[in-house]
Amino acid sequence: MSAAGHALALRGLTKRYGDFTAVDDVSLEVAQGEFLTLLGPSGSGKTTILMAVAGFVAPSAGSILLDGREITPLPPEKRNFGMVFQGYALFPHMTVAENVAFPLRVRGLSRADRDTKVRAALDLVQLGTFADRLPKQLSGGQQQRVALARALVFDPNLLLLDEPLSALDKKLRAELQEELKALHRRVGRTFINVTHDQEEALSLSDRIAILNHGKLIQSGAPGTLYEAPRTRFVADFLGKSNFLEGTVQGADADGFVLAAGPDRLRVRLPAGSAVPAEGSRRLLSLRPEKISLLSDGEAADNTVDGRILAWSYLGAGFALRVATPSLGEIRAVLPAWQAAIAPAEGLPVRLGWSADAAVPVEDDAP
Amino acid sequence: MDGIHPTGPAARGLAWATALYLVLPILIIVPVALTDQRYLSLPQDGISFQHFRTVFASPEWLGSIWQSFIIAVCATVLSVVAGTLCAIGCWRISRRATDLVRVLMLLPLIIPSIVYAIGLYRYFGPLGLLDRFAGVVIAHGVTGIPYVVITVSTALAAFDPRLEQAARGMGASLSQTLRWVILPRIAPGIFSGAIFAFIHSWDELVMVLFIASRDVFTLPRRIWDGINENLDPAMAAVAVLLVLFTTLLLMADRALRRRSEG
Repeated sequence: MSAAGHALALRGLTKRYGDFTAVDDVSLEVAQGEFLTLLGPSGSGKTTILMAVAGFVAPSAGSILLDGREITPLPPEKRNFGMVFQGYALFPHMTVAENVAFPLRVRGLSRADRDTKVRAALDLVQLGTFADRLPKQLSGGQQQRVALARALVFDPNLLLLDEPLSALDKKLRAELQEELKALHRRVGRTFINVTHDQEEALSLSDRIAILNHGKLIQSGAPGTLYEAPRTRFVADFLGKSNFLEGTVQGADADGFVLAAGPDRLRVRLPAGSAVPAEGSRRLLSLRPEKISLLSDGEAADNTVDGRILAWSYLGAGFALRVATPSLGEIRAVLPAWQAAIAPAEGLPVRLGWSADAAVPVEDDAP
Repeated sequence: MDGIHPTGPAARGLAWATALYLVLPILIIVPVALTDQRYLSLPQDGISFQHFRTVFASPEWLGSIWQSFIIAVCATVLSVVAGTLCAIGCWRISRRATDLVRVLMLLPLIIPSIVYAIGLYRYFGPLGLLDRFAGVVIAHGVTGIPYVVITVSTALAAFDPRLEQAARGMGASLSQTLRWVILPRIAPGIFSGAIFAFIHSWDELVMVLFIASRDVFTLPRRIWDGINENLDPAMAAVAVLLVLFTTLLLMADRALRRRSEG
C-alpha cells in the first residue's frame, strides 16, 4: 500500500430534511494524511456530514472537493472511499477473506492479485490466521479489524470511520484506539472519524472539528481546543469545565481583571489575543484540574474560600464540589498524591489557580 | 420455552383437538387409498396396494402428474422472478406508493379464485390462451406472486441496509450489490416463496376448470373428474402421493429456514 493521502474540502455544506437543518453551512478543510475527527453530541450533524462525504446523502447546498476537484455529484461507488460502518457491516455470508476481497472483486482484479492484497491487508491488522472464519465467529474487536482491512485493501482516497469503536467495551476501545492511531501512521492516509466520545477524539486526532446543531463550532488540534475553547459549548463538551461570569475591569495589554461579585479574578491572556472592552460581561472557562487546594499561607494569582459540598474518589485523584459564597459551586480535580487533606463534607478549603488557567469563552449555551 | 408458565390441561386439550381437526381429514385418505374394494371405501378384508399400481400403470394419471409438475415448475419460475423483483423494488424505493403496490400484489390472495378465473377466461379467449400450457403457466405464475412477495419482503425486512451501503461504498454497482450481497442474504426467503408458489400451482383446481379443458389436464383436474365420474379409489392413492409430496416440500422449507437461522 502506497502512502498517498488526499485532501478534502467542504464548502458551505448544508443538508435540510424538510424544515429541519441537519447540517448548516459547514466549511472545513482536511489536509493530506490528516486524522480529522468530527465530534459532537447526537443530532449534531456529524454523521450526516460523513454520509455526504461518502455519497450516501446528497447535500442540499454546498460542495465537496477532493484535491480541489468537485465530487459532490458522484455516487458512492465512484468515489473510491473506504468506510468502516458503525456495527462494521461485514457481510455475514462471506468469510473474513471474502469480505476483505469484496472491493477487489468488484474492481475485477484477478484471483491471484486479490489473494496477495487480501493477505497483506489481513496481516496489517494482525488477522492473517482468521481468513477462513465467518464474521460471527470473531469477537467484536476482531470484526472491527476486518472492517478496517476491508476499507483499506483497495487503496482508497480517504478512510471514513463512523463511530468505529462505539460497540466495544472500554478496555478494548482503548487498545483499538492505539491500534487505529498506529495504523494511521503506517498507511499515511487521510482518515475522517465520527464520534461522540471526547476521549477518543482527543487521543486519536490530529485535528478535531466540534459540531453542535448542525453548525461547526470550532476546529483545531486537540490541545488547542482543550486549552483555548472558543465557546462555552466547546469547553463543556470537550472535558469538564467551571464557568465564571463577571464584568471586565482594569484591562491592559497583559490581560484583565474580571469582577464577579466581591471577587476580583486576574486573567492573563496569551500574547496577541484581543483584550475585552472595559465594562463588558465575560464568561471564563476554568478546568477543574487547573485548580489546586491551597494550604495555610500559600499564595496564588486567584484564590477563593469555600466548603466541600461533595467529593468522590477517582483512584488517581479526588473530584471535589466546593460551594463558594460568591462564585457558586466550583468543581476541582486533585491528584491523590498531592491532596494534603482527607476530604470530608463541610470541610472549609481555599482554592487557588493561576492567572492563565482560566480562558474567556463566548456564551453560546442554552 | 424456559421460564414460561406451563399450560393447563384445558388449553392443551384444545390445542390437540385443533391439530387433530386439521390433520384427520387428510389422514382418512390413507386407509381409503389402501382399500381392497373397487370403489371409494375403507378397507374391509385387508389392505391392498392395487390402486397405487393402477395409478403408476395408467398413462392418463402419469401424464397428468407430469403435466402438473412442468406447469408448476414454470409457474414457480415466473412467480419467483416477478415477486422477488417486486419485493426488492418496493424495499429500495420504500415510499407510501410502494406500500400500495405491495397490497396490490396480494390481491390474488384476497380475491376469490373463482372471480379471478372468470376474469382470466374473458381475457384468455381472444388471446388464444385457453386450454394452452402457456395460459395455465401464466395464470398460476401470476397468482403465485403474493407468496414470493410476502416471503421475500419478510427476508428483506431483516436485511441490514448498511450492508448495501457498505457494498456501494466499496465500489460495487447496483447489479453487483444485488448479486453478491442482497440475493445471497434473502435466498432463504426466495426459496420459501418458491416452495409455496409451487404448491399453489400444483394443487390449483378452480382456474384450471375455467381456462383448460382437453389438452391441458392437470392432476387436480383429473382427481376432480374422477370423483364426478367413477369414484375410483385410485384417486385416493393419488391424493396420498400429493400429500406426501407437499409434506416433503414443506419439510425442505423448514430445513432451509433452520439452516439460514443457525
